[in-house]
Amino acid sequence: MRFLRTVAVSAVLALPLLLGIPHQSAAAEEKKAKSIDELAKMYDSSGCKQCHEKIYNEWDQSLHARSIFGTGRTALTVATTVKVGLMSWQYSGVKKPEDVKIKHVLVCFKCHLPQVVEATDDVAKEIVLLSIKYGDKDTKPEEKDKIEKKLSSVNIGCLICHERNAITHKWVDGFPQKNEVYGSKEGSHMDAAHPVMKKSPIMSESILCGQCHGLGPNFELENPSQCGTLYGSYLWAYRAEGGQESCQECHMRKSKLGHNMQSYNDLNMGKAAVDFRVETLGYIWRDKAKMIPQTLVKIEMINRAGHAIPDG
Amino acid sequence: MTAKDSKGNTIAKHTRIYMPIPQQLGRGDKMGRGPYEKSGIIRDNGLPPNKAVKEEFEIPFPAEFKDGKTNILDYGMTVDVELIYEPFGDKETGITWHKVTKKIELEKGGV
Repeated sequence: MRFLRTVAVSAVLALPLLLGIPHQSAAAEEKKAKSIDELAKMYDSSGCKQCHEKIYNEWDQSLHARSIFGTGRTALTVATTVKVGLMSWQYSGVKKPEDVKIKHVLVCFKCHLPQVVEATDDVAKEIVLLSIKYGDKDTKPEEKDKIEKKLSSVNIGCLICHERNAITHKWVDGFPQKNEVYGSKEGSHMDAAHPVMKKSPIMSESILCGQCHGLGPNFELENPSQCGTLYGSYLWAYRAEGGQESCQECHMRKSKLGHNMQSYNDLNMGKAAVDFRVETLGYIWRDKAKMIPQTLVKIEMINRAGHAIPDG
Repeated sequence: MTAKDSKGNTIAKHTRIYMPIPQQLGRGDKMGRGPYEKSGIIRDNGLPPNKAVKEEFEIPFPAEFKDGKTNILDYGMTVDVELIYEPFGDKETGITWHKVTKKIELEKGGV
């Protein structure tokens, strides 16, 4: 829990900096966002940086910070989902990109941008049209840069894990409140918009990550699909076989990546994930009288991650 | 896995793909590729956690066979074995996690 302890200490030290700094208003949170900019404002993480700079900078390196843009491939896949999937399906209600509604983009954004349910259909349309434009060969590089910036302004920021998704069992633990921030401790929090710090019972548990890093087809959608299935693999192929570590243990603590939670892109994570052993033996085999010189190559791989590799 | 002779010429190349094979729209025998169409698993050929996955290859040395005799053309071989993660299923975006190189020399002479 080193990173959360750092959160508490940093908050106290930075108290003078935070006083008087305006944050998101309660009124803005209650109504639905009508644009990407409004949604970005509702879940803006930049205010957290002043006290939690190290953590913020770690997160900024992660794909969580650009969850609907990714390396560019995610945005292109959003466009493909609309053009190849939604527009080709008879009963989807989508004949052209402008027909897209929130319910359509949830096939991607249930995980890549869960807060999108707090936005109007206009936001779904805006994201889709920008994603398509990004992939258009006639779009100029400077325009692509603007699209990247805009699409990266909405993401899996601090308030997704530390507020919106911090409680899974709401009948037991209560519903997450907009004025609260959730971590490992109870107390006050030096932020005008989030003055209360509460303990999330799942902040160190894999189920926190499992909300997005999936089980299989999302049957709550009218047209189910699956993207990430790692949490299912974690449950049934790792924990069920005696594995005991959590997602956070490997992707944050042991890796020392903190909030820059990487996976295959980080070479150290890749090397640590699979034990890789190669043995060779040169010899001459005899097929009756025929001498056949050959090499035997034996490869053994043991996946040391808490889930199957790869995902998808 | 790539095997080369002493001069660096490729004499064998084998590839194995490890991945879950998602079912298209939760029906039939077709693989789905786009995340919008994947629902189910046809076959899982990925690396399961904490279980050994083994491969074996037998690679012949360059040789000629004539009149019941074997003439070994090269007594040396270099084998490169790489484990590459391809996030988008193409080599351009592949990330090499492990690479092991082994040099093999056959004994000369014998009975």
